Amino acid sequence: MDNIAGHKSSLSLVTNLAVLFLVVVWLIPTVGLLVSSFRDREQISETGWWAAMFPVESAVRTRPEPEGVRQDGDYYVLEGNVFEAGSGSVSGFGLTGRDPGAADVGETFAWYEVEVTEEDGELDDKRIEIAYPADGEPEFPEATEDGLPITPGSAVLQRSLTVAENGDFAYINDGEISRAPSLYVVTKQPPDFGWQNYRQILTSDGMDRAFINTLTVTVPATVIPILIAAFAAYALAWMDFPGRGWLVAAVVGLLVVPLQLALVPMLTLHNKIGIGQSFLGIWLAHTGFGLPLAVYLLRNYMMGLPRDIIESAKVDGATDFQVFTKIVLPLSFPALASFAIFQFLWTWNDLLVAKVFLPSNSESWVMTVKIADDLLGSRGGDWGILAAAAFVSIAVPLVVFFAMQKYLVRGLLAGSVK
Amino acid sequence: MKYLSKRSFLGSAAIVALSTGAAFAQDMPFEVGEGDFQWDSYEAFAEQYDLSGQTVEITGPWTGNEKEKVDIVFRYFEEATGANVNYSGSDSFEQDIVISARAGTAPNLAVFPQPGLAADMASQGLLTPLPDDTADWVSENFSAGDSWVDLSTYEGEDGEEHVYGLFYRVDLKSLVWYSPIAFDEMGYEIPESMEELKELTEQIVDDGGTPWCIGLGSGAATGWPATDWVEDLMLRMHEPQVYDQWVTNEIPFNDPQVVESIDEFGWFIRNDDYVRGGAQAAATTDFRDSPSGLFAVPPTCYLHRQASFIPAFFPESAELGDNVDFFYFPSYEEKDLGNPVLGAGTLFSITKPSEATDVMLEYLKLPIAHELWMAQDGFLTAHAGVNPEVYATDAQRAMGEILADATTFRFDASDLMPAEIGAGAFWKGMIDYVGGADAESVAETIQNRWDSIR
Repeated sequence: MDNIAGHKSSLSLVTNLAVLFLVVVWLIPTVGLLVSSFRDREQISETGWWAAMFPVESAVRTRPEPEGVRQDGDYYVLEGNVFEAGSGSVSGFGLTGRDPGAADVGETFAWYEVEVTEEDGELDDKRIEIAYPADGEPEFPEATEDGLPITPGSAVLQRSLTVAENGDFAYINDGEISRAPSLYVVTKQPPDFGWQNYRQILTSDGMDRAFINTLTVTVPATVIPILIAAFAAYALAWMDFPGRGWLVAAVVGLLVVPLQLALVPMLTLHNKIGIGQSFLGIWLAHTGFGLPLAVYLLRNYMMGLPRDIIESAKVDGATDFQVFTKIVLPLSFPALASFAIFQFLWTWNDLLVAKVFLPSNSESWVMTVKIADDLLGSRGGDWGILAAAAFVSIAVPLVVFFAMQKYLVRGLLAGSVK
Repeated sequence: MKYLSKRSFLGSAAIVALSTGAAFAQDMPFEVGEGDFQWDSYEAFAEQYDLSGQTVEITGPWTGNEKEKVDIVFRYFEEATGANVNYSGSDSFEQDIVISARAGTAPNLAVFPQPGLAADMASQGLLTPLPDDTADWVSENFSAGDSWVDLSTYEGEDGEEHVYGLFYRVDLKSLVWYSPIAFDEMGYEIPESMEELKELTEQIVDDGGTPWCIGLGSGAATGWPATDWVEDLMLRMHEPQVYDQWVTNEIPFNDPQVVESIDEFGWFIRNDDYVRGGAQAAATTDFRDSPSGLFAVPPTCYLHRQASFIPAFFPESAELGDNVDFFYFPSYEEKDLGNPVLGAGTLFSITKPSEATDVMLEYLKLPIAHELWMAQDGFLTAHAGVNPEVYATDAQRAMGEILADATTFRFDASDLMPAEIGAGAFWKGMIDYVGGADAESVAETIQNRWDSIR
């Protein structure tokens, strides 16, 4: 036979590549979310996360305060540095937002008013924009961009800007500079990452409370259904009683009932019997919503345990309870662990059930509600916060998952190899 | 080379204009008896009621920063009456309130972001009518008072009409945002009429720019910004009565007048040269990210039509009145329809009556309840008795003036239509239209949907 152990099939390379491809595809959104969690809302809406690692050449508007303006003949001169922080590197600059990189560093960019001859022969004033070396003299073209001839020697300086690479600038205007002028420079921006999203989430008021609330909901909501379901599953698997088949069918049937259907009736019931909106209520709700899957999963697993062991125990005089606690329960540990992980993750991530069954005041907020209703703001849109919150709330489930993962794998494989 | 405006650079531009709630972290930032507030009525109110030991539970759509602001308004109520106010905001208020009202865990007061849902719940008997004198009070004390009474009068479970809500906080929708710096540099003038606005649009294209930033994306609610456009244009092209008939479906959705308005919207959005990224991109751009084009260098658009709440989503470098400002979405010069204004608002309704709840509604009628939020920015009101001096910014005051100068005020139509239309078929239809579908067939699909839910 070709495909015995030790012989490599030619397909294995393809398989490996396919797996690698799937892993990469699977990871892309997560990596994107992780990168986004270090960026703020504006950066996220401006560039994709994949561009976040590289310096970006971008144009910015700067509005230097008109301080220390000196008069030079008919003109007013403002000098300074475009970088408030003091250092940086400019690669281009301009006087309008439409063309912020009109001139290169070391040049002077100027607006001149010139006299042109219109097509009908009339004289008119037009503004032209020219860039020339800062230590040189402007050279005026013979005609404007529209092709109108310029009267030589008619140019009058209106405004000019000279910017050096280190950001030093000189701005000259033909009128008094009373308002901060808008100057534009093109500069390389270093990649900008920060912990600000994480800081905002972790230090926001009541986050500790929300964390404890989430644990208060999650731990009992995981333990209670496992306890009940283990008993039920044993009975459905190993105890003979009339209608057992129908009962199993009913449990399977309940699996397909969407829990949203039960929200209002259950809350009404809780109000009638005096539980109201409370932690007890949400434990009961989660237990109810988790039970069908738990019973179904555990029963199937217990059915697969060797009949011989259980029958010999019974022959030896063990009661059902002893069989359950001494034999079935220890053997079912992998299945219990798998279900515990499922239930824990689902209750940890739950938003809907928590909003319905817990009071709406901020003392009872769980983490998901805190994130959705408090941190994201009235109309959402703070994607950076959302991404960071996802990673914060993922931390505990990850610990749980890795701690119990070996049982999960065993649980999935159990029974497949004799 | 990529030209993009960056925030954390050149600190001078990075003055945080849109102050977050942190600045008002303290409980009672305004000293009683000081400033331009109308404290007299507040003090009389405080004398009149003593509700020590009572609690008012309120839920509403305001979360985060807005919750902090409204909490301050309620804080003054607590101070005056001794009652406790427990406000909680929810991101999914519309679903939560229905569940809790049905299950009997409703709070005392619910703040509805749109009258459609309140009317729905009133007809199911889940709301308690406000005292009978509310209608008279609103029509006397609100500007355009009667239209506010109409908007809060619904048929109850018993089939009788009552006032079920008190409007508190108004959003103004007929605004176009622009950058004064960009306008200045390009020599553009603020258009005084729709004809001029269209000319400006064409001129910007001639100058090599892109006039409009339009973003219709909004998660599950994608499409609503387009419905605002159509509603605004409806009000500018036809009589307000036609608008009212459209809202109640007295004229069908595919009436030629409605189709004409949709096509007018198409003049703006279905031209790839007029919209940043082209018409297709508009449907997928999130409305929250859309205005960023005004602040980009070079500007990737010059105009953005959006409601008064949008500054919350401007970049941090934005400074109202400096690098961003707004003008009234103008009306047609050739049509003599005055200056219509489209808006929306939130209303307080009673979901579980109590003595303290009634007193809270009395408090919300006082000018001071409105002024306390006005002074914190981000709040417009239809209450005619407030002192406009209290507005936190000139921009807010200017919006207040637009509201006051309106010859016609109409509420957002999609909020008044049945949810399946106004929060479903209309949204989707607009996305189809932007995607290239014919206005008439889109309108017909929406009308068919409307027929099917009757």
